[in-house]
Amino acid sequence: MLVILFNAFNGLIQGAFYALMAVGLSLILGLNGVINFAHGGFMAMAAYFAYTLVPYVGFWGALIIAPILAGGVGYVVEQLIVRRLYLRDPLYSLLATFGLALIIQDLLRTIWGAQGVPLAIPDFLNQPLSQVYFFLTGYRLFVVALAIISTTGLFAILRFTRLGIRIRAGNSDLETIAAVGVNIYLLRSANFVLGIMFAGLAGILAAGQIGLTPTMGDELIMPSFVAIVVGGVGSLLGSLVGGLIIGVASGVTAAVYPAATEVIIYVIMGIMLVARPRGLFGQEGLLE
Amino acid sequence: MSDQKGFRGQIGRRGLMKTGAALGAASLLYPPAPSWGASETPIKIGMIDSMTGNFAVLGQSAIKGAQFAAAELNKKGGILSRPVQVLVEDDAGSPGTGVDKASRLLDQSQIDFFTGTTNSAVSLSISQFAAAHNKLFVCSGGHVDKLTGPACNWATFRTCSTTWIMTSGNSGTLVEKFGKKWYFLTTDYAFGHSEQDDYTKQVTALGGTIVGGALVPVGTPDFSSYLIQARAAKPDVLCLLLAGDDQINAMKQITQFGINKDMHIAGALFELEQIAALPVEARYGSWSFEWYWDQPKVPHVLDFAKRFAAANKGQYPSARVWFGYASVHAIALAATAAKTTDSMKVAKAMEGLTLPPEVALQPTLPTYRPEDHQLMLGMFPGTVNQHGKYPDLINVQAYVPGASIAQTPAEAGCSMTHPA
Repeated sequence: MLVILFNAFNGLIQGAFYALMAVGLSLILGLNGVINFAHGGFMAMAAYFAYTLVPYVGFWGALIIAPILAGGVGYVVEQLIVRRLYLRDPLYSLLATFGLALIIQDLLRTIWGAQGVPLAIPDFLNQPLSQVYFFLTGYRLFVVALAIISTTGLFAILRFTRLGIRIRAGNSDLETIAAVGVNIYLLRSANFVLGIMFAGLAGILAAGQIGLTPTMGDELIMPSFVAIVVGGVGSLLGSLVGGLIIGVASGVTAAVYPAATEVIIYVIMGIMLVARPRGLFGQEGLLE
Repeated sequence: MSDQKGFRGQIGRRGLMKTGAALGAASLLYPPAPSWGASETPIKIGMIDSMTGNFAVLGQSAIKGAQFAAAELNKKGGILSRPVQVLVEDDAGSPGTGVDKASRLLDQSQIDFFTGTTNSAVSLSISQFAAAHNKLFVCSGGHVDKLTGPACNWATFRTCSTTWIMTSGNSGTLVEKFGKKWYFLTTDYAFGHSEQDDYTKQVTALGGTIVGGALVPVGTPDFSSYLIQARAAKPDVLCLLLAGDDQINAMKQITQFGINKDMHIAGALFELEQIAALPVEARYGSWSFEWYWDQPKVPHVLDFAKRFAAANKGQYPSARVWFGYASVHAIALAATAAKTTDSMKVAKAMEGLTLPPEVALQPTLPTYRPEDHQLMLGMFPGTVNQHGKYPDLINVQAYVPGASIAQTPAEAGCSMTHPA
């Protein structure tokens, strides 16, 4: 019993991390209407940026600069590729970003090599805080804290700033806000870059905990897609809750039947798609 | 159609002549190293291995080893006075892709032999494909027992160890030194299952008990929930039977949770490439290494390591490099002995073939056993040299000749049949 509780708690921590990844994806899906398959690629890219930067600016400096650099690459990609897909069928963006994911992965492999590299995290974060709750390391708490702070920050931006209000308005009706004089091209670029910066942050945090390889993003991206579907497409709160749900579910499954930890999240997704296709908090009709 | 014509029109007579002249000049600048006669078509070795995916690092090491061997052979006159070519195709770690690529190598490039594979599942499918198409396949890097056991066939030989050889390389020492209660974290496919079965047999035979285990899907990024289970079982030895990048993820998280202070971390396979990818605090544990570049008393080894490093930007040869290297040399030796490239005759010549010292590169000279086609290579049980600098990352504690720990062909379950 204790083990199941441990696992549920651990699942919450893991879920917070999925949520952080899902929020960036969800942001881009909402306003840009693009299912960004290259999200995992951007995660790994930011993590490699951080790996390269750590010797010069330290872990903390890299944690700030690398997502911004990734955001910069995101801007270029948006201008060159993603922008052309906005008015087309979602299938185009799916194919284009899938291709982009492969390109990014091979670029990373060419530059930094297929062999994993170690991204070291500060020593004081790198140990368990308690003997009993050994899975509560300083680093994982830090990840959860950062996930909470950054998503709260994002909610605040969306709720209280002009940019945020425009993003939300654009989510529900892009044509109207264009008609009242909002530059929606700029708005969509800004939103895409913001989403990529979230991916970058998640990527660096992940690399502190697992190995940093060019394929790192692939392994992490599927759970965040599932989180979005479960939580509801287009809803940031939904992505957050979805992330936590699948985190806990796979944690508890590991205690009962370890071989099914991966499949359980897809089972949940399947049930959700049958019972409530728009997800927990999704808008009615969006991608339904 | 009109577009095509227009395009052709753009390359004028002048352009064509210039290109031709440039190519001619270039070939004067770079004459081919040994000049083979025009009639001598190359002997082509088709290599299927992972250049992308979860096994990319290990696969690329094997490829470098094979290409290094081919370059060496070509300097000394090739095989049967014909040049050797290693044609590489990427299996991306998937059996389906592997077979597609094998089929392409056979149809389009008309290769003479197959080698390669890192993922055991790919090894098994290429083995069947090769036998069905009457081509020799020297598996360089897939460890699953079955390949030279129940699934053995006349066409398939294996250079790397079986999981049985690998696990019995250190199971005795581990039980004796660290304890009898074992817990497994096992990668959920043929290779992991095979390793876990072997360790279970060996540990129970030595009076140990298995207190639990979990099968982990390939590509799992987060091991925290598995590690909670493992710690709750309170084993003496936490045995990691993971592959590729998964092992790195697990090792990193084990250190972060401080689990390696409560129990001993050990396992069979751990590779130079993987150790190099870990931060210092995650370099630990006892493992069965299959080959190591630092064998001070054995002739040829250091020389090989230095030659290889010089040709590969300072990268030292790993076990994977040696697998690729020895596999290509073994094919060359067998083809030379058979005086033909006919796969069936070469396979016959390879049965019982003993690797010469400059290829074996270890204290005893291993033989491809005729009954099951398994190379009797030795094991190097040891520990990770935590604070060592690359490539000095392993402390080898012993050398165990393969023939002393391998299952007999009967135990392995191989009944070899040759086509009539």
